[in-house]
Order: sequence, then structure tokens, then C-alpha cells
Amino acid sequence: MSTTLVLGTEKGAFLCRSKDRAKWTVEGPLFKGWKVTASTRTPGGRYLFATSSYVYGAALQTSTNLKDWKQVEKGPSYPKAKSDRQPTPGVAVGPGFEPRMNQIWTLAAAGKRLYAGADTAGLFTSDDDGESWQPVASLNDHPSRPNWFPGAGGLCLHSILVHGNRIWIGISAVGVWRSDDGGRSWTPKNKGVRHVIEDEKWKDIGFCVHGLASDPKEPDTIYRQDHAGFYISRNGGDTWDAAENGLPAGSVGMPGAKISASFGFPVAVDPHTKSLFIVPLESDEYRMPVDGKLRVYRSRDGGKSWEGLGEGLPNTPTYAGVLRGAMAVDAQKPCGVYFGTTSGQAFASADSGDTWRPLPCTLPRILHVAAYADR
Amino acid sequence: MARVTIDLPSMLGNVLGGVRRIEAEGDTWTQALDDAFRKLPALRVHVCDETGALRRHVLCFVNDVNTRFGEGPPPRLRDGDRITIMQAVSGG
Repeated sequence: MSTTLVLGTEKGAFLCRSKDRAKWTVEGPLFKGWKVTASTRTPGGRYLFATSSYVYGAALQTSTNLKDWKQVEKGPSYPKAKSDRQPTPGVAVGPGFEPRMNQIWTLAAAGKRLYAGADTAGLFTSDDDGESWQPVASLNDHPSRPNWFPGAGGLCLHSILVHGNRIWIGISAVGVWRSDDGGRSWTPKNKGVRHVIEDEKWKDIGFCVHGLASDPKEPDTIYRQDHAGFYISRNGGDTWDAAENGLPAGSVGMPGAKISASFGFPVAVDPHTKSLFIVPLESDEYRMPVDGKLRVYRSRDGGKSWEGLGEGLPNTPTYAGVLRGAMAVDAQKPCGVYFGTTSGQAFASADSGDTWRPLPCTLPRILHVAAYADR
Repeated sequence: MARVTIDLPSMLGNVLGGVRRIEAEGDTWTQALDDAFRKLPALRVHVCDETGALRRHVLCFVNDVNTRFGEGPPPRLRDGDRITIMQAVSGG
């Protein structure tokens, strides 16, 4: 089986192809100059890539062969607005804020439905293989929305998990929400997680989820890399427990004090063994590998303990981080693990993280990594 | 109505199937852009924001004149005028 990696960067997408996951070729850039922030394969077998530019806005591109592309004309969009005001970092957007489509942060396929998460935060769905998209008003117009405030990466909906009618989404810096009715209604699910900023009115928002992944066999087991630590829920998000035994000591700033917690962004799960993969960073202040050691951490026991993996990763001081969308696993046995850094290096492991090798390229800042099995 | 050309920057061509020039008609540059949006619907989202105005960092020139400058109604186009969409110099 051959594998194609999509590396979405600040300046275009690159495709890395391999038949054995050892030797890789690199193609690109696709969409030269554009941020490529997400991708998925649709139920109909097409690829969707999310492109954005601070000058020219955001759109979806579609292709059946990763060569010939067409922009989706009825992509995710917000209604006509009266002002061009953007959210201010760290400040709730306030009443009357009009959202805009700055970037599509994530794409997900579940059954015949496609989901897109956006900045400014919103959820969109498509039931026609990505040709047209509709906003999910029950979430996007939630009464708490005026009290949502952006994290450092903006006010963005960046994570989507779906199992049947149960949907989880993550918004920075609002928290995790769950729908049990296919998206008709939503409830914040953050009990047990430390607030990053407590809202005066809505006590169950103000959490800064960074990344989500679900257990491949137990969908109500959810893994959460948060601003304030790494957490696991075994009841669909009703409650969360920290799971940081063996992770390097990091710290995050909390009102009144600094606390010890594992800061980071991506989380991925081996679909066969359920091993977890994360990349801890020093703190929310510094956002760099601890002591300049770029390491992936793996848990093979559901988060009870963690081990650092570095064989084949740089041994020289490395202070490039890994962004939330920039790590992926494939579905092979043993599972492949892939990640890209903020300095444009990319690494691949064909043995579930035991050993790593660099991909033969140095790219712009890597925003998105996805692995597709070629058919 | 005047027949004009609208030139697009290479970055827009990179997401619009390589299109770099559109022939359009209109009495004003806004009408000509609307005609271009009819011919190439995927263009609109990149040129205009949710308010319907030009995006903050997008400039539109009619021949050598920046449409952000000047007051009053937009000047009437003439056959052969060139409209150029480009990225504003926004820092660096």
C-alpha cells in the first residue's frame, strides 16, 4: 500500500508519497502562497483542502486526483455583515458581533456528512459531498456566543469528533461542546478541566481546548490536549481527569499563579493499538520543546503513563514547536505517525513512533498534516 | 457599457484554475467586478468581504488610479480600460 502525506503549510501544500513509508518523494507546492490548513477525503472519494490568506480570505478546493482542482463555490460562509470588526485577542466578542470566514481550521467526514470548523468560531455541514455548506445555527448562534473570546490562534473551532448522533467540537478559548442529537443542541463539556478565564455569566465556558481525539473502539473515551494540561474523559466528556504521568514538567499561567501542566497542541491515536501521541511544549509563555529536545510522547496504556520517543529525531537543540493540526497517524499496522514543525521540518515513523526519519524537505511553517492510503 | 479587462494577481490564479484575466462589462468598476463575479463566481469571496466591500488588504486600480482614492461616484469606464486587482502593501 502506498501512502500520501499532505503537508499544509503557511505558503502552500506539499505531497509526500511513499510505497514503503521509508523513502519519500515530495511534490508541490499546491496553492502556492496560500495557507493550507485542513484536508479530508469526502464520502464520495474527493479530496477537500482548506485554503486561506489574510489578503484574499478562505475557501475550499476540491479534487479527485490531487492534480486537478476546483474551488467550491458554495463553501462555508457567514451572512452579510455591516462592519468589518475582527475579534480582539483575549476579549469576548460581545453582543452583536458579526462573524467572518477567516479560515477553515478543520474538516471531518462522518458517514455521508462533512463537517467544517472555522475562524471566527463556527461549525458547518455538507450533505452533498462538499458542494454546498450550511451553518449549524444551534452552535454558531448560541446565546453564550457574545461571551466567547479568542485564544492566541484566534476564535476558532478547530476540532470535530463524530460518533453517530453524538458530536464533540473544540473551540479556543471557549471549550469542548457536545451534541447528543446530531447537532440540534449543544452543551459545554469541561468539568474537571482548569479554566483559563472564567466568564462572569457562563461558568461552563472559558476553557482553552487545543486538540481532541477519540478512542477508536470506545467513542466515549475522549483525549484532550488542553492549554491547561492533558486530560481524558471516559464518559463522553461529562467529566475529565488529568493524565500526565511521565510527561515533562511544563507550566501554564493561571489567574493568580503558575501551575504545573503539560502544554501542547496535537493529539493522535493509533487506530489499532490505541496508543496516544502528543508533543509537549515548555509552557504557554514559550511554546517550544522542553530544553530544546523535540520529542513525541506516547502512551500505550490509555494515558496512565507516557514515554518520550526521540530515536531519529534531532539531537541538536531544536526549538520548533508542533501546531495543533500538524500531526497525524495512518491506518496501517504498525501505524505510521507523522508530524511537521513550525520551522518546516517534517518527520515520519513507520513503527508507531519507535524510530523516526526526516522527510526530505524543509518547508514553510507546517500547519496541517494528514495521511491518506492510496487506492 | 464599457468592455474592460480585469487582471488578477498570480496568487488568485493559483486557486482559480490559473485564470489571470477576465473580460468584463460595466459602466463603473463595481459593475465590471459584478460582471466578473457572474462569470467566475469563485472570485467574489477573495475580493470582497462579508460587508460586500473590497477586502481590507485588496486594492483595485482602474488603469493607474487606486479606487480607494477620490470622492464622489466612481468614474465611468471606457472601452479598453484595465482593472487590476492586487494585494495592498500591508507591512513588511
